[in-house]
Amino acid sequence: MVDAVRMEQITKRFPGVVANDDVTLSVERGSVHALLGENGAGKTTLMNVLYGLYRPTSGEVYVDSDGLSTSETGAVRDDPRSFDSPRDAIDAGIGMIHQHFMLVDTMSVAENVTLGDEPTKWGGLAVDRAAAREAVRDLSARYGLDVDPTATVADVSVGVRQRVEILKALYRGADVLILDEPTAVLTPQEVEELFAVFAELTAAGKTIVFITHKLGEAMGAADEVTVLRDGAHVGTVDADATTREELAELMVGRGVVLETETPPVERGDPTLSVSGLTVDDARGVRAVDGVDLTVHAGEILGVAGVDGNGQSELVEAITGLRTPEAGRVTLDGRDLSGVSRRERARAGMAYVPADRQERGLVMDFDLTGNGVLGSQHDRPFATGGRVDWRRAREHAADIVDEYDVRPPDPTATAASLSGGNQQKFVVGREVARDPSCLVAVHPTRGVDIGSTEFIHDRLIDLRGAGTAVLLISSKLDEVRELSDRLAVVHQGEVVSVVDPDLITEEQLGLLMAGERPTDVPTADRPSETAVADGGVADE
Amino acid sequence: MSDADDSSGWRGRVTRVLDRLTSASARERLAISLSALVLSVAVGAVLIYGAGLATTCRRAAFLGSCYDPFVVYDQLFFRSFGNLLADPTNPKAATTLGEATILVCTGLSVAVAFKAGVFNIGTQGQLVVGALATAVVTYAVSQTLAGPLATVVSLPVGVLTGAVTGGLYGAIPGALKAYADANEVITTIMLNFVATNLALFAVQAAFKDPESVATQTRRLPAFAQFPRVVFPETADFSIVALALAVTLAVAAAYLLAATAFGYDVRTSGLQSAAAEYGGVDAKRTTVAAMTLSGALGGVGGAIYVLMKLGNFQTNVPAYGFDGITVTILAGNNPLGVLAAGLLFGVLKSGSINVSVATDVPPELVGVIRGLIVLFVAMPEFFRLIARRYTSDDSPGETAVTDGGRPTDDERPGSDDRPTDDGRSTDDTQGGTERPPDGDTGSDDGGVSP
Repeated sequence: MVDAVRMEQITKRFPGVVANDDVTLSVERGSVHALLGENGAGKTTLMNVLYGLYRPTSGEVYVDSDGLSTSETGAVRDDPRSFDSPRDAIDAGIGMIHQHFMLVDTMSVAENVTLGDEPTKWGGLAVDRAAAREAVRDLSARYGLDVDPTATVADVSVGVRQRVEILKALYRGADVLILDEPTAVLTPQEVEELFAVFAELTAAGKTIVFITHKLGEAMGAADEVTVLRDGAHVGTVDADATTREELAELMVGRGVVLETETPPVERGDPTLSVSGLTVDDARGVRAVDGVDLTVHAGEILGVAGVDGNGQSELVEAITGLRTPEAGRVTLDGRDLSGVSRRERARAGMAYVPADRQERGLVMDFDLTGNGVLGSQHDRPFATGGRVDWRRAREHAADIVDEYDVRPPDPTATAASLSGGNQQKFVVGREVARDPSCLVAVHPTRGVDIGSTEFIHDRLIDLRGAGTAVLLISSKLDEVRELSDRLAVVHQGEVVSVVDPDLITEEQLGLLMAGERPTDVPTADRPSETAVADGGVADE
Repeated sequence: MSDADDSSGWRGRVTRVLDRLTSASARERLAISLSALVLSVAVGAVLIYGAGLATTCRRAAFLGSCYDPFVVYDQLFFRSFGNLLADPTNPKAATTLGEATILVCTGLSVAVAFKAGVFNIGTQGQLVVGALATAVVTYAVSQTLAGPLATVVSLPVGVLTGAVTGGLYGAIPGALKAYADANEVITTIMLNFVATNLALFAVQAAFKDPESVATQTRRLPAFAQFPRVVFPETADFSIVALALAVTLAVAAAYLLAATAFGYDVRTSGLQSAAAEYGGVDAKRTTVAAMTLSGALGGVGGAIYVLMKLGNFQTNVPAYGFDGITVTILAGNNPLGVLAAGLLFGVLKSGSINVSVATDVPPELVGVIRGLIVLFVAMPEFFRLIARRYTSDDSPGETAVTDGGRPTDDERPGSDDRPTDDGRSTDDTQGGTERPPDGDTGSDDGGVSP
């Protein structure tokens, strides 16, 4: 029962903002510790202090990978550490895996792991590649991280890349591993595998701190959970002795409805339909193969599947960002197949893209500028080719107001907003188009609970107002909860369209893996089979 | 703040400098530019003094050195305008303003392409073809005209010819980039060679003035050139041309900031994926921006012919390349191009003055000029590069200290808490931890009517 890390009364001030306010954190050696909190709660700041990226304004950091020695009163006897840079933290046995990986895509796994610290031969004249490969193979075997050292990083999946990052930290002798939102980019299966890796690591005496805002993960993978809110420490609980409700309340500061109510809505006419859509990806490999889907007015059609099974190509072909090889897209009976992205938006197709920072927002523009993205040529924002910036500003102010975007300032740049607020703004802008259909991809990715709840409510409002919603998400809970029908995709095909209320998680998992179990509760009532809405694709 | 409490080490320091540069406001950038100017003068003065020591001359000009740095800089900067009090339209001022006029055009040309995310190095070539076409077409038109209204017809025809030819010549690399994925840096450099040699060949083969030994076209009648209002007939500068250049700068600023087309251009320049999402046809925007850029370069060529030379001569000065530095100096801001163009005009005509008034060799003057540009442009240049790497995520120190992109949460000062709680108190002390300047500088133009 010794601590590997103790942070005492850490306060970190930025100009005008207190990011961490008197936070104390103890992490037991050989345990998994979750740092839970909403976006902007100060989780990453705290970990950046531990990793030497920031110096705390006040407070002490103690680290000893063999365990800190304490006096009877609990006071630490070791000297406090002061890290000037990550270099110092690494020397002290701390490794951090950032949310965005820092890997060289064109180099092999072994080269990436040993980068900057390569084993050499010939008196330091050459890199000993064989030794590097051997070292990586050793490490991966010891900690159960299944990675091929010779593979090129560009060719491996996101989950494997994350392992490479972990190996990198281990190679540098890390005993305390910090992971910043490690599951944000992973598929459910990869999350499982990651948590298995956690178990292996802690069994070998490593200590893990991971940042998350997902309750389930904090409870499932951690031994202890520390909750931060508004920069302050609000509680540390034993993961086994807590409930989702308790954690949610600690996090948000009030009770949260975890289950979204989806009131029944009379489903209307087919609004968005896709038939025989076949799309190749950038490398010319078939990504979407003859997909048929129909979304009706007042309906949310969910698309579930492991990431990389053609979802992004499907969405891009529907929204007009990618030219399909074959197939048709119609909206309200109008054939949009050969029509530009701009025309599709004008026809009433709103689109919340998967990547808000790449596509959904221009990061250097302010919110006023971002509020007109996609309608910069259309009334009421543009008349005669001239943009009416006053109206645009009002529009942005309305979105900011209605969606509680903070800071509530239309002149703030998109880059200055936190991820959750960026997402709220994008959703707000798209909903404000008053669309006849909305294509929403990962609408709550990287968004805290409070905002997630809010965005879900907006989607349900839209559905209630008779909009057809196509919802693509890698969060299974989300699609199951919100969808009226659920299309499961595997390798570019719609495997089945099922009823999300009746299907079990296990059946869904099998479908997503490409198996076709019998007795799956399909969502299509017999009368509707005439509508080409993606029954099982023909063999 | 002193930043002493944050990560140290050279990497951290570099990062902070870059962050400060990216987040510098317009006023800070002006201050940076001015201090860089002073610094460059100091370094240059040492260089001139040292060079003077190493040279032998009959009588030392300054503390044993053959060259007097004070005289050099006096000539370079202050004599560029001659004696404005005695004669505001003196030839030196005319030369300075004339150079500035052309450099504003080429600077705008590069700026517009840059805004669209296209690095147009081909302004030089666009200027050359524009100049040649202007000379040829204007000559042909002027032969059919006479009388008091001849200028009114001939001049617009000449300028338009330059614009159209330059525009078409700029459209080529634009189309190659958009539809054939050809790197514009390479194509425009190559097209510069093509333009220069094509012009040489065309003049020799078809348009050469038979009465001259030099490779140049026939001289245009005075009425076909920019009228010398205010300035004397002998000056190689016309206030009309300057007015045209200023109008173009204002128009470019308006186009970029206030129109839907400008929004498309800026969006594709900043973030092409977002532009695509926003319904911007990336290919068409690239071609359009390059056409516009080429047209501005072509107008520069037209002014060069119709104001400065009166015909086309094949040894065209590197206005197009200087335009790149002008726009970098101006932070890609069309209105800033006016100021940067003027500074360049001063340096160009000032160099001539130095050569005339002192024994300093022209090569050394070139070095001095280069130093000034280097010092003044470098902060802006680093800013442009730094923005490319940090703009999408830098609320300051989080950004690159470890190469680490910050996560979605914890953007200091912008989080889920009210931010007007005295945010401004510390803010004045240094920009490092602020979000990058989206619209504080003028170069985003964007959102103010």
